[in-house]
Amino acid sequence: MTENQTILKANDLSKRYEDGVLALDHINLNVRAGEVYCLLGANGAGKTTTINLFLGFIPPTTGTCLINGIDINKDPLEAKKYVAFVSENVMLYGNFTARQNLDFFAKLGGKPSLGRDDYYKVMRRVSLQEKAFEQRVKTFSKGMRQKLGISIAVIKNAPAILLDEPTSGLDPKAAEEFQEILSELKKEGKAILMSTHDIFRAKEIGDRIGIMKEGRLVMERTREDLRTEDLVKIYIDYMKSEPMTV
Amino acid sequence: MLGTIVRKEISDNLLSYKFFIVILLSAVLIFTSLFVMARDYKGRVADYQVIKPKPGAPIGVLPPNPLSVFAKGLEDSITRSYELDFIGVQTRTGRSTANNVFAFFPAPDFLYIVKVVLSLVALLFGFDRISREREAGTLKLTLANSVSRGTLLFGKWLGNLISLAVPFFLITGIGLAVLHLDPAFHMTGAGFGRLAVILLLSLAYLALFLSLGLFISAVTRRSATSLVVLLLIWSLMVFVLPNTGTLIARQIVRVPSSRALMEKRNQIWTREILMTYSDRGNRGAHLDAMNTEIDQIEQDFRRKTDRLVRLSKTLNRISPAAGFVYTATEIAGTGIGEDSRLKNEIVRYKNRVFETGTLENGKAPAFDYAYRSIGTIMAEGGFFDVAWLLAFNVIFFAAGYAAVIRYDVR
Repeated sequence: MTENQTILKANDLSKRYEDGVLALDHINLNVRAGEVYCLLGANGAGKTTTINLFLGFIPPTTGTCLINGIDINKDPLEAKKYVAFVSENVMLYGNFTARQNLDFFAKLGGKPSLGRDDYYKVMRRVSLQEKAFEQRVKTFSKGMRQKLGISIAVIKNAPAILLDEPTSGLDPKAAEEFQEILSELKKEGKAILMSTHDIFRAKEIGDRIGIMKEGRLVMERTREDLRTEDLVKIYIDYMKSEPMTV
Repeated sequence: MLGTIVRKEISDNLLSYKFFIVILLSAVLIFTSLFVMARDYKGRVADYQVIKPKPGAPIGVLPPNPLSVFAKGLEDSITRSYELDFIGVQTRTGRSTANNVFAFFPAPDFLYIVKVVLSLVALLFGFDRISREREAGTLKLTLANSVSRGTLLFGKWLGNLISLAVPFFLITGIGLAVLHLDPAFHMTGAGFGRLAVILLLSLAYLALFLSLGLFISAVTRRSATSLVVLLLIWSLMVFVLPNTGTLIARQIVRVPSSRALMEKRNQIWTREILMTYSDRGNRGAHLDAMNTEIDQIEQDFRRKTDRLVRLSKTLNRISPAAGFVYTATEIAGTGIGEDSRLKNEIVRYKNRVFETGTLENGKAPAFDYAYRSIGTIMAEGGFFDVAWLLAFNVIFFAAGYAAVIRYDVR
């Protein structure tokens, strides 16, 4: 995986639901290896729809989603080999322990021969307490579940990671730890697309930030741009204005 | 990938309280049923020792069938005593209890437990497999991997079927082993073969409810909705539809009552006896005339009854529960077909006794009856019911597949 290689690519991506609602309006974006792309926007802006389209959960009305150059709608099973996913509030299998959950999803992710030590290593990496490794997940706090969720993404070792509001509801310490893990994954060359409401977190971690409004990508800024511009002001201004596609 | 999903489903079941409670309840019910029905069987065996005809007596009566412990069906009718006299065949009512309350409730045999209780258990295994995972977010997480939706559905089906089948066979096996410790209960090798077929049929029946559960789970967004819808469908399939067909058939085919038939036979008998007196001893001719007329009336009655039964069975097959019970009872030798065949054999026996003139001299030939083989049962309609049961499985699974493919996992 070379740096600057595009891993996630959305071309002219639109989604109109059966009830006529236009959730996504001709989006173009790409995320390169070793890059964190943050999608900011209010509820209903189209952030989660974008991620759902990348995962092939819903078909696009127009356009394509490419993961590692593979169209998710043409060859979903092949494309999904190259992507891992962390959702906003994953409950996981409550009767399973953290390790058992990790084992199941690791096998689904194409890692059939990993053992207990491998799972423990990954769980330590995401700062999950040792005593929780063999505890049933239904006893976990949201923060612990999110850590386990990210360990599922980590163990798959896919070149792309999609995160749908992963820090929502996390306490500041857990959110900070989460950010550190993302930084490490970025250093490993993962292409990370993250939808979030958290402007401050996006500014700290994002290499590029896109603001979405009413299904359109209305603004895109790089980390360098934001050294001289105030993201909060830009965000609020865009939320007040009429949407215009980038 | 399929193996991973199957193992996950089994582990998920094994780790849930729901599984243990449901399996424990099923075990208690199956053991209780086998105990109660075995006692009933032993009571009938004791009765048979009393009513067993002496050699030469013109009586046809079959010994109790050990498989009736599992599928009681028409056992009481089949094992009743058929006594020959000048009027023809007199039937004695089957074993009855002095407790009338028993008449209000069906025999709690193994088949009943499978038909009603275990079918509900199978639904409970499947009702939330898709919708609950959507609610918990694990469906998205699973499908974010290289797993096809078809594989996911089949894995869930297979995993839950194994979770259901293993305790089912284990509990039944233990129950059977305990039954065999009792010397009064004896089942032949052929009986075991028949029981094995009944168990496989039961599994196919339970599998279709599992498929139905998965299907409804995949067309609903919430597991609570799925449960309500499934309970409604289940009660229709198991309780309402199997009786509706019988009621409709009764409106289409008119059959005189058994009481009317009996009255008519008595009328013919009285008439011919009176004519015998006026005819001064030509008794043989009048007996022949009486038998011929009664035979015709009975044949007509049986023909109409058979038509009614056939139509009822056809209409009832809209419910898989009906087809399952028909086939399982036929294989056990307690079904409608066996009862009908036995009655035909009794008529043949009567004709043989009358032809040989051994009715009164105590040298009547013994009534000999062999239950049909499984092959014959299958050829005589059983195969259709088995195919129908499997078709329900395929239809529900295919519907579930179509629903899962379109399922909105968000």
